This record gives sequence, structure tokens and C-alpha cells, in this order.
Amino acid sequence: MSLEFLNAFRFMKKKSFLHNLDPRAKLVLALTYTINALLFNQIIPLLIIFLSLIPLVMIGRILKQWIKSIRGLSFLALFIIILNTLFISLSFAVAMILRIYIMVSAFSIFFLTVDPNDLALSLISMKIPYEFAFSFSLAFRFVPTIATEAQNIIDAQQSRGYEMQKKGFVNQIKNLFPLLIPLIICSIRRAFNVAEALESRAFGSTKERSYYYTIKYTLKDWIFTFCLLMFLILWIFIRIQFSLMPDWFLWRLPI
Amino acid sequence: MGKNGAGKTTLIRTLNGLIRPSSGDVYINSENINSKSIAELSRFVGLIFQNPFHQLFANTVEEEIKFSLKNLFLNKDELQTKTNEILSNFNLDKYRDRSPLNLSGGESKKLAIASIICRDPEILVFDEPTLGQDAQEIESFIKLISSEKEKGKTILIITHNVEFAYEYIPRTILMGNGEIIADGPTQNVLNNDFLTEKSSLILPQTQQLSLALQEIGLQGIRKNISKNDIIRYLINLLKNKTISAQEE
Repeated sequence: MSLEFLNAFRFMKKKSFLHNLDPRAKLVLALTYTINALLFNQIIPLLIIFLSLIPLVMIGRILKQWIKSIRGLSFLALFIIILNTLFISLSFAVAMILRIYIMVSAFSIFFLTVDPNDLALSLISMKIPYEFAFSFSLAFRFVPTIATEAQNIIDAQQSRGYEMQKKGFVNQIKNLFPLLIPLIICSIRRAFNVAEALESRAFGSTKERSYYYTIKYTLKDWIFTFCLLMFLILWIFIRIQFSLMPDWFLWRLPI
Repeated sequence: MGKNGAGKTTLIRTLNGLIRPSSGDVYINSENINSKSIAELSRFVGLIFQNPFHQLFANTVEEEIKFSLKNLFLNKDELQTKTNEILSNFNLDKYRDRSPLNLSGGESKKLAIASIICRDPEILVFDEPTLGQDAQEIESFIKLISSEKEKGKTILIITHNVEFAYEYIPRTILMGNGEIIADGPTQNVLNNDFLTEKSSLILPQTQQLSLALQEIGLQGIRKNISKNDIIRYLINLLKNKTISAQEE
């Protein structure tokens, strides 16, 4: 079913250079790429930025999941193409798609390589109160849970004769509507359950918490952050000195 | 029957296409179902999930039943009368406007069963129907399956409840590690202590009792004796004892 793309945001324990980095360094990565994507609306620079993500994905060994997340966006991409081509131009549409792909990929790298527990820790190290940090990491963990919940409802509806396997794009979209309300209700109920479970385990009973393990910004994190910042400065420079760039840099589609 | 993780639920989920087999084919009424959609199959195979809350999703009990019936393309009046009929048959009238998610364990299970049975499939598949049910609820479930059986339906039940299976189910298939390890009349399968131990079940109480009685040297207990017969046997035994005691 079409919900598989939610897996694109599900963390899996793996050993790789990216996985071993500090979560904050990876947050810098996501932000750097987001800013870079927002700097330009020409195809070529955005394409270069997008392609520069691919080696990172390879290093993180998350190629399969990343491709899934990109594929999950195809519906949105279609909308962008249709609307932008109608109102502005095709090359702008392509640029916008690249922009959204860059941002989603950057954050999917972040979500795929950051352990939810580390995420809470890194938020706390940024002086965010534990309650908020915890609920953030919990929300993060909730995505796959909602996906399972949705699959249950789909199974239930289908086994009572609701036709969902009709082929065709429009049908696939239409099928998602009867799913929405039950899914929201189930998720709210699930949230109440989680709250009860937390309270029964004395969540928030003490102000000061101690931690089983802590995270550290090591040398390789500093180097990584430094490279990212150089990368960011480079692109900001290009943006400011745009007139110095060769002609092919400003290439546009004829329409 | 079989151990947890033996593959029972996986097997029954292949029956209506929720899981497609990675190799091999599934045949229902000697028709290969590989190319059929789950919705098509749901006309033949009614699957009742283990957790009723996974099966219920509508806002009210009434809508829950209506959802199943709508997919049969009835007209409006038929839909309403059929819904009312089902609700009163299952004693769910009084919950009509309640949310299915707020029902008790027994009621929600009943509703889940009602929502499948109202579609009238030929094959009914239950996943752990006796789980978390009180004695009365189990009794009404037994009544339900025997009336469905009289209508000529095929009924397939996954259960860990040895006594229930021993009393009411004529044929038992034991599974382990995704394979069938025994298949035969329930009495033969469940009275076999090698098989029951292998699938972490216990022998039915009648079998345990008759083994214990044989051990202390009592004769005349038939193999595969039924519950009522062993009760009668014990009563006779005790009567004779008291008579002989009085004589002395």
C-alpha cells in the first residue's frame, strides 16, 4: 500500500560514518541544505546541490529508504509541476521540485541516521526542557506506529469488502479518505494510552534527571560541521556574486 | 492450534489475501486466489481478527455494521432493515449510537463478529475467539458457531483453549514452525501427550483424569472418553463405594 513511504523516516540502527556523528552535526547538515535550497530558483545550482547529497546517502548506507522517501513525494511533485507550469513556467516548476527534494532528502538523512534517544539528548543539550525534548522524540517514534495503525484499518476495511486494490492513481488517492477519520481517532486514543503509561511510570516526578549516557561533540563532528559551513558560505557567495557565474549556470528550459 | 509464533495467524491471513504467499498458491473452493483482491475474497472468506479493536473503526456501532453491508450494494431500505436485524440478533441494539471503541472486551468482540457475519461469507475464520471472554460469552459464541455450521458454513478457529477445542471442534490441526505437525480428529490429536507437549498445550482435563485413574489401577476407562462419560463413571464408582461402605 502507499503508506510504505512512511518507512523512509524510520530510524534503523546501522554502523556508518553518518550514524556515528553527533545528532547536532546532522542537524547542521539538514539546516545547511535547507538554506542552500532556498537560496536559488535556477535549475543548475539546485541540481548540483541535490547531487551532492547522493554521496552522503551512500556513506550513510540508507540509499534504499532514501529512494522510497523520494518516490513517496511523486504525488506532491505532480501537483507542483501542474500548478507551476500553468502559472509560471516549466523550468520554475522543475526548480521547485528539486528544492523540495533537497529539503526532504536532507531531513530524511537526519531522521534516518539519528537515534530518537540521542535526539532527545541533543535537544536537552541545547537547553530545551526535558518534557519538550521527550515529547519531540516521542512524536518522532509515533510515525511508524501510525503507519501500523493505518495498515490495520486498511486490512479491516478490505476484509469487509471495501475495494482498495483498484488500479489507477485517482482511485488510490480516493481510497485514503475513508481511512482518515478512523486513523485520527485511533491516534488520539493511542496518545492517551501513552500518557497513561508514562504517568504510571512516574514521568516528571523529579525535576533533575540524570542520564544513562551522554553525547559528545568530537573532533570528527567539528570537522564535519566545518565542511558544511564552508559549503554553505560557498553557495551564499555564489548567490551574492551571481553575475560572475558562467552562462550555463543560468540555463533554463525553453518553456 | 499450536505454539505462539507457529504461523497460525499468518496462515489465516493468506486465506483472504491480506498476506500473499511468497511461494506456493492458495486455493479457496478449488480456485486460485492469487489474482483476486482482498475485497473480492471477503465475500467468501470472513476473517475475524484476534484484536477486535483492529477490526473496528467506525464512529458508531450502527455505522460499523453498515460499512460491511454497504459494500454488498444493497439499497437504502434493505440496508437499514438488515442492520437492525443484525443488531438485534447480536443484542447490540442498546449500543447502537455508542462508539465501538468504548465497548467492553466481550461486546467489541461480538460486534467484530457481527460485522463479518452480516456479509454472510461461506468460510468463517476466527482468530482466538475465546480470548478474554467470560464463560457466558464463550457459551453464546458456541451457540453462534453451531448455528452457522448448520447453515453449511465452513468454520476455522485458532485457539489455545484446549477444553473448548476438545468439547466442540471435530477436527484439529496442530502447527509448529510454520508447518503442520498433526492433523486429525480432535480427540486423537489432543489426547496425544507427545503432540501436546510439542506445541506447548496441556492435555484436556478428561484425559488427565483418566490417565490418573488408570495409574491408581482403575479399569474400564475407554480411550478418548468424553467429559459426561467420565463424570458418570466417577459417580458410579463413588456410589458403589458408599454402598459397599454401608454394607460393612
